[in-house]
Amino acid sequence: MKIFKCNSCDYASVSSKYTCPQCRTGKLEAQEVSPKGTVFSFTDIHIAPAEFADIAPYTIALIQLDEANVKVTARMDNPVQIGDKADLDKIENGAYLYTRI
Amino acid sequence: MTSVYVHGIGMTQFGTFVDRSMKELLLEACIQALEDAGNPKVDAVYVGNFMGGAIYNQEILGAIVANELGLGFIPTAKVEGACASGGIALRQGIMGILSGEYETVLVAGVEKMKHASTSDVTQAINAAMDNDSNEKQAGLTFPGFFGVLANRYFYETGASKKHLAMVALKNREHALNNPLAQFQKPATLDEIMNARIITNPLGLFDCSPMTDGAAALVISKKKSGVHIRSSAQNSGPTQMQDADDLLSIPAIRESGRLAYEKAGVGPEDIDVVEIHDCFSMTEVLAIEELGFFNKREGWKAVEEGRTKSTGDKPVNTSGGLLSRGHPIGATGIAQIYQLVRQLRGTAPNQVDGAKLALAQNLGGTGSYSTVHILERV
Repeated sequence: MKIFKCNSCDYASVSSKYTCPQCRTGKLEAQEVSPKGTVFSFTDIHIAPAEFADIAPYTIALIQLDEANVKVTARMDNPVQIGDKADLDKIENGAYLYTRI
Repeated sequence: MTSVYVHGIGMTQFGTFVDRSMKELLLEACIQALEDAGNPKVDAVYVGNFMGGAIYNQEILGAIVANELGLGFIPTAKVEGACASGGIALRQGIMGILSGEYETVLVAGVEKMKHASTSDVTQAINAAMDNDSNEKQAGLTFPGFFGVLANRYFYETGASKKHLAMVALKNREHALNNPLAQFQKPATLDEIMNARIITNPLGLFDCSPMTDGAAALVISKKKSGVHIRSSAQNSGPTQMQDADDLLSIPAIRESGRLAYEKAGVGPEDIDVVEIHDCFSMTEVLAIEELGFFNKREGWKAVEEGRTKSTGDKPVNTSGGLLSRGHPIGATGIAQIYQLVRQLRGTAPNQVDGAKLALAQNLGGTGSYSTVHILERV
Protein backbone atom coordinates (compact mmCIF):
# COMPACT_ATOMS: atom_id res chain seq x y z
CA MET A 1 0.00 0.00 0.00
CA LYS A 2 1.01 3.60 -0.50
CA ILE A 3 2.43 5.62 2.43
CA PHE A 4 4.11 9.03 2.55
CA LYS A 5 7.58 9.44 4.03
CA CYS A 6 9.47 12.64 4.79
CA ASN A 7 12.59 13.19 2.66
CA SER A 8 14.48 14.83 5.53
CA CYS A 9 13.38 13.12 8.79
CA ASP A 10 11.82 9.82 9.91
CA TYR A 11 8.17 11.00 9.80
CA ALA A 12 5.75 8.87 7.80
CA SER A 13 1.95 8.77 7.44
CA VAL A 14 -0.70 6.97 5.46
CA SER A 15 -1.94 10.38 4.26
CA SER A 16 0.03 13.08 2.51
CA LYS A 17 0.66 16.55 3.96
CA TYR A 18 1.90 19.74 2.30
CA THR A 19 5.01 19.85 4.50
CA CYS A 20 6.31 17.42 7.09
CA PRO A 21 4.51 18.16 10.39
CA GLN A 22 7.51 16.85 12.36
CA CYS A 23 10.56 18.69 10.91
CA ARG A 24 8.47 21.28 8.99
CA THR A 25 11.07 21.51 6.23
CA GLY A 26 10.90 18.15 4.44
CA LYS A 27 8.45 17.08 1.78
CA LEU A 28 6.52 13.83 1.96
CA GLU A 29 7.20 11.33 -0.82
CA ALA A 30 5.05 8.34 -1.76
CA GLN A 31 6.43 4.89 -1.05
CA GLU A 32 5.01 1.38 -1.45
CA VAL A 33 5.06 -0.88 1.62
CA SER A 34 3.39 -4.13 2.61
CA PRO A 35 -0.06 -3.52 4.17
CA LYS A 36 0.55 -6.33 6.70
CA GLY A 37 0.55 -5.27 10.32
CA THR A 38 -0.55 -5.81 13.91
CA VAL A 39 -3.72 -4.62 15.68
CA PHE A 40 -2.59 -1.73 17.94
CA SER A 41 -6.11 -1.18 19.26
CA PHE A 42 -9.74 -1.55 18.21
CA THR A 43 -13.38 -0.92 19.02
CA ASP A 44 -16.66 -2.56 18.03
CA ILE A 45 -19.05 0.17 16.97
CA HIS A 46 -22.63 -0.59 18.01
CA ILE A 47 -24.15 2.86 17.55
CA ALA A 48 -23.27 4.00 14.03
CA PRO A 49 -24.07 7.11 12.03
CA ALA A 50 -26.94 6.81 9.55
CA GLU A 51 -24.70 5.87 6.62
CA PHE A 52 -23.15 2.85 8.43
CA ALA A 53 -26.19 1.81 10.49
CA ASP A 54 -26.94 -1.17 8.23
CA ILE A 55 -23.58 -2.88 8.94
CA ALA A 56 -23.43 -2.20 12.73
CA PRO A 57 -22.00 -3.61 14.90
CA TYR A 58 -18.68 -3.55 13.07
CA THR A 59 -15.03 -3.49 14.14
CA ILE A 60 -12.61 -0.62 13.56
CA ALA A 61 -8.94 -1.30 14.22
CA LEU A 62 -5.81 0.81 14.25
CA ILE A 63 -3.19 -1.28 12.43
CA GLN A 64 0.53 -0.76 13.06
CA LEU A 65 2.24 -1.61 9.75
CA ASP A 66 5.17 -4.06 9.87
CA GLU A 67 7.33 -2.29 7.29
CA ALA A 68 6.93 1.37 8.32
CA ASN A 69 6.33 3.50 11.40
CA VAL A 70 2.80 4.13 10.18
CA LYS A 71 -0.61 3.33 11.62
CA VAL A 72 -3.70 2.85 9.46
CA THR A 73 -7.34 3.01 10.52
CA ALA A 74 -9.18 0.04 9.00
CA ARG A 75 -12.50 -1.78 9.14
CA MET A 76 -12.12 -5.46 10.05
CA ASP A 77 -14.29 -8.26 8.68
CA ASN A 78 -14.44 -9.84 12.16
CA PRO A 79 -13.81 -8.86 15.81
CA VAL A 80 -10.10 -8.70 16.81
CA GLN A 81 -7.84 -8.32 19.84
CA ILE A 82 -4.74 -6.18 20.37
CA GLY A 83 -1.72 -8.04 18.96
CA ASP A 84 -3.62 -9.91 16.23
CA LYS A 85 -1.88 -9.98 12.84
CA ALA A 86 -3.86 -8.48 9.98
CA ASP A 87 -3.61 -7.96 6.23
CA LEU A 88 -5.38 -5.78 3.70
CA ASP A 89 -8.26 -7.52 1.96
CA LYS A 90 -9.31 -4.67 -0.32
CA ILE A 91 -9.78 -0.92 -0.61
CA GLU A 92 -13.45 -0.02 -1.00
CA ASN A 93 -14.87 3.53 -1.26
CA GLY A 94 -11.56 4.83 0.05
CA ALA A 95 -11.68 2.60 3.15
CA TYR A 96 -9.02 0.01 4.02
CA LEU A 97 -10.80 -3.30 4.71
CA TYR A 98 -8.55 -5.66 6.68
CA THR A 99 -8.80 -9.28 7.70
CA ARG A 100 -7.15 -11.17 10.58
CA ILE A 101 -4.41 -13.61 9.46
CA MET B 1 -1.49 37.30 32.18
CA THR B 2 -4.59 38.88 30.66
CA SER B 3 -6.22 42.06 31.92
CA VAL B 4 -9.73 40.65 31.48
CA TYR B 5 -12.28 39.97 34.23
CA VAL B 6 -15.59 38.09 34.44
CA HIS B 7 -18.49 40.36 35.43
CA GLY B 8 -21.56 38.28 34.81
CA ILE B 9 -22.60 34.66 34.30
CA GLY B 10 -25.78 33.00 33.07
CA MET B 11 -26.90 29.47 32.28
CA THR B 12 -30.18 27.77 31.41
CA GLN B 13 -31.26 24.44 32.79
CA PHE B 14 -29.54 21.74 30.68
CA GLY B 15 -31.75 18.93 29.40
CA THR B 16 -34.49 18.19 26.88
CA PHE B 17 -36.43 21.26 25.78
CA VAL B 18 -38.14 20.24 22.57
CA ASP B 19 -40.70 23.05 22.96
CA ARG B 20 -38.15 25.82 23.50
CA SER B 21 -36.33 27.40 20.55
CA MET B 22 -32.57 27.81 20.32
CA LYS B 23 -33.09 31.59 20.39
CA GLU B 24 -35.10 31.41 23.62
CA LEU B 25 -32.39 29.39 25.37
CA LEU B 26 -29.61 31.62 24.07
CA LEU B 27 -31.35 34.84 25.12
CA GLU B 28 -32.25 33.51 28.57
CA ALA B 29 -28.58 32.77 29.35
CA CYS B 30 -27.45 36.14 27.91
CA ILE B 31 -30.02 38.14 29.92
CA GLN B 32 -28.96 36.37 33.14
CA ALA B 33 -25.30 37.21 32.43
CA LEU B 34 -26.09 40.85 31.59
CA GLU B 35 -28.20 41.29 34.75
CA ASP B 36 -25.50 39.62 36.84
CA ALA B 37 -23.00 42.12 35.39
CA GLY B 38 -25.31 45.10 36.07
CA ASN B 39 -26.30 45.60 32.41
CA PRO B 40 -23.10 47.26 31.13
CA LYS B 41 -22.66 48.68 27.62
CA VAL B 42 -21.59 45.74 25.42
CA ASP B 43 -19.10 46.36 22.59
CA ALA B 44 -19.19 42.96 20.84
CA VAL B 45 -20.83 39.52 20.97
CA TYR B 46 -19.31 36.09 20.31
CA VAL B 47 -21.52 32.98 20.25
CA GLY B 48 -20.15 29.44 20.32
CA ASN B 49 -22.30 27.00 18.35
CA PHE B 50 -21.53 23.83 16.41
CA MET B 51 -24.54 22.35 14.61
CA GLY B 52 -27.15 25.12 14.52
CA GLY B 53 -26.83 25.24 10.75
CA ALA B 54 -26.69 21.47 10.22
CA ILE B 55 -29.65 20.31 12.31
CA TYR B 56 -31.59 23.46 13.27
CA ASN B 57 -31.20 25.61 10.13
CA GLN B 58 -30.19 28.65 12.15
CA GLU B 59 -27.03 30.72 11.81
CA ILE B 60 -26.33 34.49 12.41
CA LEU B 61 -26.60 33.84 16.15
CA GLY B 62 -24.38 36.78 17.09
CA ALA B 63 -26.54 39.29 15.23
CA ILE B 64 -29.70 37.73 16.66
CA VAL B 65 -28.38 38.25 20.20
CA ALA B 66 -27.41 41.88 19.53
CA ASN B 67 -30.78 42.66 17.94
CA GLU B 68 -33.09 40.83 20.32
CA LEU B 69 -31.34 42.28 23.36
CA GLY B 70 -31.17 45.78 21.91
CA LEU B 71 -27.39 45.96 22.29
CA GLY B 72 -27.07 48.15 19.19
CA PHE B 73 -25.57 47.24 15.82
CA ILE B 74 -22.26 46.14 17.31
CA PRO B 75 -19.78 43.62 15.85
CA THR B 76 -20.82 40.00 16.44
CA ALA B 77 -19.72 36.55 15.28
CA LYS B 78 -20.58 32.91 15.64
CA VAL B 79 -17.57 30.78 16.51
CA GLU B 80 -17.34 27.14 15.44
CA GLY B 81 -14.71 24.80 16.86
CA ALA B 82 -16.71 21.59 17.29
CA CYS B 83 -17.11 20.85 21.03
CA ALA B 84 -14.58 23.63 21.81
CA SER B 85 -16.82 26.27 20.16
CA GLY B 86 -17.58 27.83 23.56
CA GLY B 87 -13.97 27.92 24.76
CA ILE B 88 -12.80 29.40 21.48
CA ALA B 89 -15.63 31.99 21.54
CA LEU B 90 -14.46 33.05 25.01
CA ARG B 91 -10.89 33.28 23.79
CA GLN B 92 -11.98 35.43 20.84
CA GLY B 93 -13.76 37.76 23.26
CA ILE B 94 -10.65 37.98 25.44
CA MET B 95 -8.46 38.69 22.39
CA GLY B 96 -10.90 41.39 21.28
CA ILE B 97 -10.50 43.11 24.66
CA LEU B 98 -6.71 42.59 24.77
CA SER B 99 -6.41 44.12 21.29
CA GLY B 100 -7.87 47.35 22.69
CA GLU B 101 -10.82 47.23 20.30
CA TYR B 102 -13.46 46.42 22.96
CA GLU B 103 -13.92 47.14 26.64
CA THR B 104 -16.79 44.75 27.41
CA VAL B 105 -17.85 41.63 25.49
CA LEU B 106 -20.82 39.27 25.80
CA VAL B 107 -19.75 35.66 25.14
CA ALA B 108 -22.38 32.94 24.86
CA GLY B 109 -22.75 29.34 23.77
CA VAL B 110 -25.81 27.38 22.73
CA GLU B 111 -26.87 24.06 21.21
CA LYS B 112 -30.21 22.53 20.36
CA MET B 113 -29.96 18.77 19.77
CA LYS B 114 -32.85 16.89 21.34
CA HIS B 115 -35.36 17.52 18.54
CA ALA B 116 -33.23 15.41 16.15
CA SER B 117 -32.78 11.62 15.95
CA THR B 118 -29.67 9.96 17.47
CA SER B 119 -28.44 8.83 14.04
CA ASP B 120 -28.84 12.34 12.58
CA VAL B 121 -26.98 13.87 15.53
CA THR B 122 -24.25 11.18 15.35
CA GLN B 123 -23.89 12.03 11.66
CA ALA B 124 -23.72 15.77 12.41
CA ILE B 125 -21.15 15.21 15.20
CA ASN B 126 -19.03 13.30 12.69
CA ALA B 127 -18.48 16.68 11.00
CA ALA B 128 -15.94 17.16 13.82
CA MET B 129 -13.70 14.54 12.16
CA ASP B 130 -11.79 14.81 8.88
CA ASN B 131 -14.48 13.39 6.63
CA ASP B 132 -12.37 13.38 3.47
CA SER B 133 -10.27 10.53 4.84
CA ASN B 134 -9.97 6.74 4.80
CA GLU B 135 -10.89 6.75 8.52
CA LYS B 136 -14.30 8.21 7.96
CA GLN B 137 -14.83 5.92 4.97
CA ALA B 138 -14.01 2.91 7.18
CA GLY B 139 -16.83 3.92 9.55
CA LEU B 140 -14.85 5.34 12.48
CA THR B 141 -17.16 7.43 14.65
CA PHE B 142 -16.45 10.13 17.14
CA PRO B 143 -17.14 7.87 20.17
CA GLY B 144 -15.31 5.08 18.30
CA PHE B 145 -12.06 7.05 18.46
CA PHE B 146 -12.27 7.15 22.26
CA GLY B 147 -13.22 3.44 22.33
CA VAL B 148 -10.03 2.55 20.42
CA LEU B 149 -8.09 4.74 22.80
CA ALA B 150 -9.67 3.16 25.90
CA ASN B 151 -8.87 -0.40 24.79
CA ARG B 152 -5.22 0.55 24.30
CA TYR B 153 -5.16 2.39 27.66
CA PHE B 154 -6.44 -0.76 29.39
CA TYR B 155 -3.78 -2.81 27.56
CA GLU B 156 -0.89 -0.58 28.62
CA THR B 157 -1.99 0.21 32.21
CA GLY B 158 -3.79 -1.58 35.01
CA ALA B 159 -7.02 0.28 34.24
CA SER B 160 -10.29 -1.45 33.36
CA LYS B 161 -13.88 -0.62 32.53
CA LYS B 162 -14.49 -0.20 36.26
CA HIS B 163 -12.24 2.86 36.38
CA LEU B 164 -14.15 4.50 33.55
CA ALA B 165 -17.36 3.70 35.42
CA MET B 166 -15.92 5.39 38.52
CA VAL B 167 -15.43 8.60 36.48
CA ALA B 168 -19.03 8.44 35.27
CA LEU B 169 -20.30 7.72 38.80
CA LYS B 170 -18.32 10.61 40.31
CA ASN B 171 -19.67 13.07 37.76
CA ARG B 172 -23.21 11.78 38.27
CA GLU B 173 -22.86 12.22 42.04
CA HIS B 174 -21.68 15.79 41.46
CA ALA B 175 -24.63 16.48 39.15
CA LEU B 176 -27.11 15.37 41.82
CA ASN B 177 -26.22 18.57 43.72
CA ASN B 178 -26.42 20.81 40.63
CA PRO B 179 -30.02 21.86 39.92
CA LEU B 180 -29.06 22.97 36.37
CA ALA B 181 -27.62 19.56 35.42
CA GLN B 182 -29.32 17.31 32.88
CA PHE B 183 -29.16 14.12 34.97
CA GLN B 184 -30.60 14.29 38.48
CA LYS B 185 -31.16 10.55 38.98
CA PRO B 186 -28.63 8.59 41.06
CA ALA B 187 -26.80 5.71 39.35
CA THR B 188 -24.80 2.76 40.67
CA LEU B 189 -21.44 1.37 39.58
CA ASP B 190 -23.19 -1.86 38.50
CA GLU B 191 -25.76 -0.02 36.43
CA ILE B 192 -23.01 2.02 34.72
CA MET B 193 -20.83 -1.03 34.00
CA ASN B 194 -23.71 -3.08 32.60
CA ALA B 195 -25.30 -0.36 30.48
CA ARG B 196 -25.83 -0.75 26.73
CA ILE B 197 -22.55 -0.74 24.77
CA ILE B 198 -22.09 2.22 22.42
CA THR B 199 -18.60 1.38 21.14
CA ASN B 200 -16.71 -1.05 23.33
CA PRO B 201 -15.51 -0.67 26.02
CA LEU B 202 -17.65 2.50 26.27
CA GLY B 203 -21.23 2.08 27.42
CA LEU B 204 -24.07 4.57 27.62
CA PHE B 205 -22.84 6.22 30.85
CA ASP B 206 -19.30 6.62 29.44
CA CYS B 207 -20.58 8.90 26.68
CA SER B 208 -21.80 12.47 27.06
CA PRO B 209 -25.46 12.90 26.18
CA MET B 210 -27.33 14.97 23.61
CA THR B 211 -28.47 18.14 25.39
CA ASP B 212 -30.35 21.39 24.82
CA GLY B 213 -29.00 24.40 26.68
CA ALA B 214 -27.15 27.71 26.70
CA ALA B 215 -24.68 29.61 28.86
CA ALA B 216 -23.26 33.15 28.76
CA LEU B 217 -20.61 35.40 30.28
CA VAL B 218 -19.93 39.12 30.38
CA ILE B 219 -16.19 39.86 30.34
CA SER B 220 -14.51 43.25 30.55
CA LYS B 221 -11.20 44.97 31.06
CA LYS B 222 -12.79 46.68 34.08
CA LYS B 223 -11.81 44.90 37.29
CA SER B 224 -14.09 42.43 39.10
CA GLY B 225 -13.66 39.68 41.67
CA VAL B 226 -12.77 37.06 39.02
CA HIS B 227 -9.63 37.60 36.95
CA ILE B 228 -8.95 35.54 33.80
CA ARG B 229 -5.25 34.96 34.43
CA SER B 230 -4.64 33.22 31.12
CA SER B 231 -6.22 31.98 27.92
CA ALA B 232 -4.52 29.42 25.66
CA GLN B 233 -5.47 27.38 22.63
CA ASN B 234 -3.85 24.67 20.53
CA SER B 235 -4.58 22.25 17.72
CA GLY B 236 -3.74 18.58 17.30
CA PRO B 237 -4.05 15.71 14.80
CA THR B 238 -7.43 15.51 13.07
CA GLN B 239 -7.04 11.80 12.36
CA MET B 240 -6.55 8.89 14.78
CA GLN B 241 -3.96 7.23 12.55
CA ASP B 242 -1.79 10.37 12.71
CA ALA B 243 -1.45 10.29 16.52
CA ASP B 244 2.20 9.94 17.48
CA ASP B 245 1.16 8.46 20.85
CA LEU B 246 -2.44 7.21 20.85
CA LEU B 247 -2.66 7.69 24.64
CA SER B 248 -1.82 11.37 24.44
CA ILE B 249 -3.93 14.30 23.26
CA PRO B 250 -1.24 16.85 22.38
CA ALA B 251 -3.71 19.74 22.04
CA ILE B 252 -4.75 19.31 25.69
CA ARG B 253 -1.17 18.99 26.91
CA GLU B 254 0.10 21.99 24.94
CA SER B 255 -2.87 24.30 25.68
CA GLY B 256 -2.39 23.44 29.37
CA ARG B 257 1.34 24.11 29.25
CA LEU B 258 0.79 27.48 27.57
CA ALA B 259 -1.97 28.47 30.01
CA TYR B 260 0.21 27.63 33.04
CA GLU B 261 3.15 29.53 31.54
CA LYS B 262 1.07 32.64 30.79
CA ALA B 263 -0.58 32.54 34.23
CA GLY B 264 2.69 31.88 36.06
CA VAL B 265 1.20 28.94 37.96
CA GLY B 266 1.49 25.16 37.81
CA PRO B 267 -0.95 22.25 38.05
CA GLU B 268 -0.20 21.93 41.78
CA ASP B 269 -1.63 25.45 42.36
CA ILE B 270 -5.06 24.74 40.87
CA ASP B 271 -7.89 24.29 43.41
CA VAL B 272 -10.78 23.25 41.18
CA VAL B 273 -11.06 22.01 37.60
CA GLU B 274 -13.67 21.66 34.88
CA ILE B 275 -12.40 19.45 32.05
CA HIS B 276 -13.85 18.10 28.87
CA ASP B 277 -15.19 14.65 29.79
CA CYS B 278 -16.95 14.04 26.47
CA PHE B 279 -16.22 10.42 27.35
CA SER B 280 -15.14 8.98 30.71
CA MET B 281 -11.87 7.97 29.00
CA THR B 282 -11.22 11.56 27.96
CA GLU B 283 -11.34 12.74 31.58
CA VAL B 284 -8.69 10.17 32.56
CA LEU B 285 -6.38 11.33 29.75
CA ALA B 286 -7.02 15.04 30.37
CA ILE B 287 -6.08 14.89 34.07
CA GLU B 288 -2.78 13.34 32.94
CA GLU B 289 -2.16 15.77 30.07
CA LEU B 290 -2.86 18.78 32.32
CA GLY B 291 -0.17 17.59 34.72
CA PHE B 292 -2.41 16.80 37.70
CA PHE B 293 -1.28 13.17 37.68
CA ASN B 294 1.49 11.16 35.98
CA LYS B 295 1.03 9.81 32.47
CA ARG B 296 -0.70 6.38 32.44
CA GLU B 297 -1.68 6.88 36.12
CA GLY B 298 -4.81 9.03 35.94
CA TRP B 299 -6.94 5.92 36.57
CA LYS B 300 -5.23 5.44 39.94
CA ALA B 301 -6.21 8.97 41.02
CA VAL B 302 -9.80 8.15 40.03
CA GLU B 303 -9.69 4.92 42.04
CA GLU B 304 -8.37 6.79 45.08
CA GLY B 305 -11.17 9.38 44.87
CA ARG B 306 -8.71 12.23 44.41
CA THR B 307 -10.84 13.87 41.67
CA LYS B 308 -14.05 13.92 43.71
CA SER B 309 -15.27 17.30 45.00
CA THR B 310 -13.90 16.17 48.39
CA GLY B 311 -10.55 15.04 46.93
CA ASP B 312 -7.29 16.99 46.61
CA LYS B 313 -7.90 17.80 42.90
CA PRO B 314 -11.66 18.21 42.40
CA VAL B 315 -12.62 17.65 38.75
CA ASN B 316 -15.99 18.48 37.19
CA THR B 317 -17.85 19.59 40.31
CA SER B 318 -20.69 20.63 37.97
CA GLY B 319 -21.24 17.01 36.89
CA GLY B 320 -19.16 17.47 33.75
CA LEU B 321 -20.30 16.84 30.22
CA LEU B 322 -21.32 13.32 31.26
CA SER B 323 -23.98 14.41 33.75
CA ARG B 324 -24.36 18.21 33.66
CA GLY B 325 -24.95 17.65 29.93
CA HIS B 326 -23.20 18.62 26.72
CA PRO B 327 -25.07 21.17 24.57
CA ILE B 328 -21.99 21.32 22.36
CA GLY B 329 -21.53 25.06 21.74
CA ALA B 330 -22.50 25.94 25.32
CA THR B 331 -20.16 23.52 27.10
CA GLY B 332 -17.02 25.70 27.19
CA ILE B 333 -19.06 28.57 28.65
CA ALA B 334 -20.89 26.35 31.15
CA GLN B 335 -17.49 25.23 32.48
CA ILE B 336 -16.61 28.88 33.23
CA TYR B 337 -20.08 29.40 34.78
CA GLN B 338 -19.36 26.64 37.31
CA LEU B 339 -15.82 27.87 38.04
CA VAL B 340 -16.94 31.47 38.60
CA ARG B 341 -19.49 30.14 41.09
CA GLN B 342 -16.69 28.15 42.77
CA LEU B 343 -14.57 31.31 43.04
CA ARG B 344 -17.55 33.29 44.35
CA GLY B 345 -18.14 30.55 46.94
CA THR B 346 -21.66 29.76 45.73
CA ALA B 347 -21.19 26.60 43.65
CA PRO B 348 -22.88 23.23 43.87
CA ASN B 349 -20.21 20.94 45.41
CA GLN B 350 -18.37 24.02 46.65
CA VAL B 351 -14.63 23.51 47.19
CA ASP B 352 -13.68 25.40 50.37
CA GLY B 353 -11.63 28.50 49.70
CA ALA B 354 -11.17 27.86 45.97
CA LYS B 355 -8.89 30.59 44.58
CA LEU B 356 -7.45 29.25 41.31
CA ALA B 357 -9.60 27.39 38.79
CA LEU B 358 -8.87 25.78 35.41
CA ALA B 359 -11.22 25.01 32.51
CA GLN B 360 -10.24 22.82 29.56
CA ASN B 361 -12.50 22.51 26.51
CA LEU B 362 -11.79 19.98 23.73
CA GLY B 363 -12.97 20.02 20.12
CA GLY B 364 -13.02 17.06 17.74
CA THR B 365 -10.88 14.02 18.48
CA GLY B 366 -8.17 16.32 19.84
CA SER B 367 -8.34 18.82 16.99
CA TYR B 368 -8.76 21.84 19.28
CA SER B 369 -8.23 22.53 22.96
CA THR B 370 -8.59 25.69 25.01
CA VAL B 371 -7.50 26.22 28.61
CA HIS B 372 -8.53 29.17 30.77
CA ILE B 373 -7.18 29.82 34.26
CA LEU B 374 -9.33 31.99 36.56
CA GLU B 375 -8.42 33.55 39.89
CA ARG B 376 -10.45 35.02 42.74
CA VAL B 377 -9.02 38.49 43.39
